[in-house]
Amino acid sequence: MAVAPLVTVEGLSFAYPGSVPAVRDLSLELYRGEVVALLGPSGSGKSTLLRALAGLVPHFHGGHFSGRVEVAGLDTRTYGPAELAGTVASVFQDPEDQVIMTRVGNEIAFGLENVGTAPAKIWSRVARALAGVGIAGLGERRTFELSGGELQRVCLAAALALAPELLLLDEPTSQLDAEGADLFLEAVERAGCAVVLSEQRIDRALAIADRVILMEEGRIVLDAPVVEARPLLAARRPRYVAGAVADEAKPAELAGEPLVALQDVCFAYGDGPAILSGCSLTVRRGEVVALEGRNGSGKTTLARIAAGLAEPDAGTVTRTGRVTYLSQDPGRYLVRETALEEVALGVGGDEVRAAAALEDLGLTFAACRHPRDLSSGERQRLGIAAVSVSEPDLLVLDEPTRGIDPDRKAALSAWLLRQAAEGRGVLVATHDPLLPAHRRVRLGEPVEVRVEA
Amino acid sequence: MSPGPATALLAAVATVAFLIDRIWALALITAVLLVLIVRAPVRRRWLYVSGALFGALGVIVISPFTWSSGGGTLLWEGPTLPVIGPLDLSTDEIRIAVVSGLRFAAVALAFSVYTLLVDHDRLVSAAGFARRSALAVALATRLVPSLERDAAGLAEAIRGRGVELHGARGYATLLSPLVAGSLERATGLAEAMEARGYGRSGSTRAPRPAWTWLDRLALAGAVVLVGVAAWL
Repeated sequence: MAVAPLVTVEGLSFAYPGSVPAVRDLSLELYRGEVVALLGPSGSGKSTLLRALAGLVPHFHGGHFSGRVEVAGLDTRTYGPAELAGTVASVFQDPEDQVIMTRVGNEIAFGLENVGTAPAKIWSRVARALAGVGIAGLGERRTFELSGGELQRVCLAAALALAPELLLLDEPTSQLDAEGADLFLEAVERAGCAVVLSEQRIDRALAIADRVILMEEGRIVLDAPVVEARPLLAARRPRYVAGAVADEAKPAELAGEPLVALQDVCFAYGDGPAILSGCSLTVRRGEVVALEGRNGSGKTTLARIAAGLAEPDAGTVTRTGRVTYLSQDPGRYLVRETALEEVALGVGGDEVRAAAALEDLGLTFAACRHPRDLSSGERQRLGIAAVSVSEPDLLVLDEPTRGIDPDRKAALSAWLLRQAAEGRGVLVATHDPLLPAHRRVRLGEPVEVRVEA
Repeated sequence: MSPGPATALLAAVATVAFLIDRIWALALITAVLLVLIVRAPVRRRWLYVSGALFGALGVIVISPFTWSSGGGTLLWEGPTLPVIGPLDLSTDEIRIAVVSGLRFAAVALAFSVYTLLVDHDRLVSAAGFARRSALAVALATRLVPSLERDAAGLAEAIRGRGVELHGARGYATLLSPLVAGSLERATGLAEAMEARGYGRSGSTRAPRPAWTWLDRLALAGAVVLVGVAAWL
């Protein structure tokens, strides 16, 4: 007897209000226990498909919906996201935008309370969920004290506590280091339910997936078991397949004078533990230096010190030339009404230079659009344009490839090398081992930074 | 202490600060709240404490010049300005300014203690009625740290581009993006809440610890405080 699918999608098309269709005529079936890697470039419709499976499209977002989505026999046109909760659970990209309560235990209990779990069972299920993702000791901690990695695992625990039949994950490891991402995906693998995992770290997604769905421009262009999908992916999107390195790191032929030299730098937040102790680093003109290390190892702090945005407690910092700095998640920190004005801010309003910088990063089409109307990948590139427009001597970039698809990452890698070839120094704090660099500097063990209790 | 009685006590203290005009009592309330707020993390409390104290100082220094009481001993008489009127300073005006300043400090610090030290989750759970309103208040309070971080992130993003922000006017330009960012964050949060079943019928509550004698004492104290202040 044929097994009934858990999810049936038939002829799904959807357009957000006032926009062109984000997904077009999608049809697929998902089965219980199946792990599906949902791949595709930014803006290809992956998040929209996940939202449709959770009932958030169209109930939360509005827009034009056609076709049919049925999850565990529930038609999402009739049953909204709240009714589907428990059957479906979602983990979104940014944990800060999905944590509701102030204590971890209460955060996990929130969903259980909403779906009507018997009160006597709630705390035991909270404890089991926390243990299941390896954070059993965090139940009483305040959510705003946690690192990004811990918070993302809290979100996963909150989803798994509901014992869903379908788990939807929208780029959940984008903020995690390699070890954190592995731990997260191990917990996902153990969940045993059907999983749809949208991910830009393709190799990791393929390692746990049974099946691959590739989307482009709102359509499914490949749907096959992993073994069959690999060669097809290699032909269609070579950079998506594990082992296909974006760009080779080249020796820094032009490495010249030091632009920033940090000597025996120490740093601690307030009277907390030392984040950096005795770190030394030099970035020279003409080289790309990758600053690596686990979450909490002090990459961002060192990058901020190099950029002159934080003062070390001890040690010396010598800078020559102008430095600009791109923070993590720059899309959150946009201040002007159009992309052109946003970039022009760094050059005293010079829109000619701003337009050239936008063109350099493939954003000419966005010049007159509001920065917050752009996709997350486009915002990331806009942030890079905004810090590079003034042609600084040293560019300091914090996780510039976060959440960017492999093809875009390759383009960004080439851009970074071009900056170095033009005589700039580039310091990149990154989790990405494939990002090309002339030198790689790894910081030591992470230090847990807590807000004092 | 459970968050319900703690909130009731803080609300009572703020109410008392509005009701009384004795300087020593207002100073005592302010001092007690300052002692309490020391339990909050240094990095978070400085903003609240400095806001409350500098605000109070502003009220004390400026308000005597903005009106004339007509009573007390006249200490100084200045020119008459358009709109504001005659500038003068009397003992009566100084006393009232000190009362207003201390009142401002007491109310602001009571709110700060609520924001920094009360467990808002348990407060929501304890709300037997109007749970949605309680959750809205708790969420608004929880978003304060995010707002602080976003404001710092925005300022740093601008400085990172080599652009310096000068004075209040420079920082004021960050208000609009800060609000836009907050709205974006709030939308994300609303989406996450709905995806986790918020608003669905048949919800339950996780069992919480029962009130202790200290909680009952705090609640009784809150009632007594307001009663005594109203009587005085």
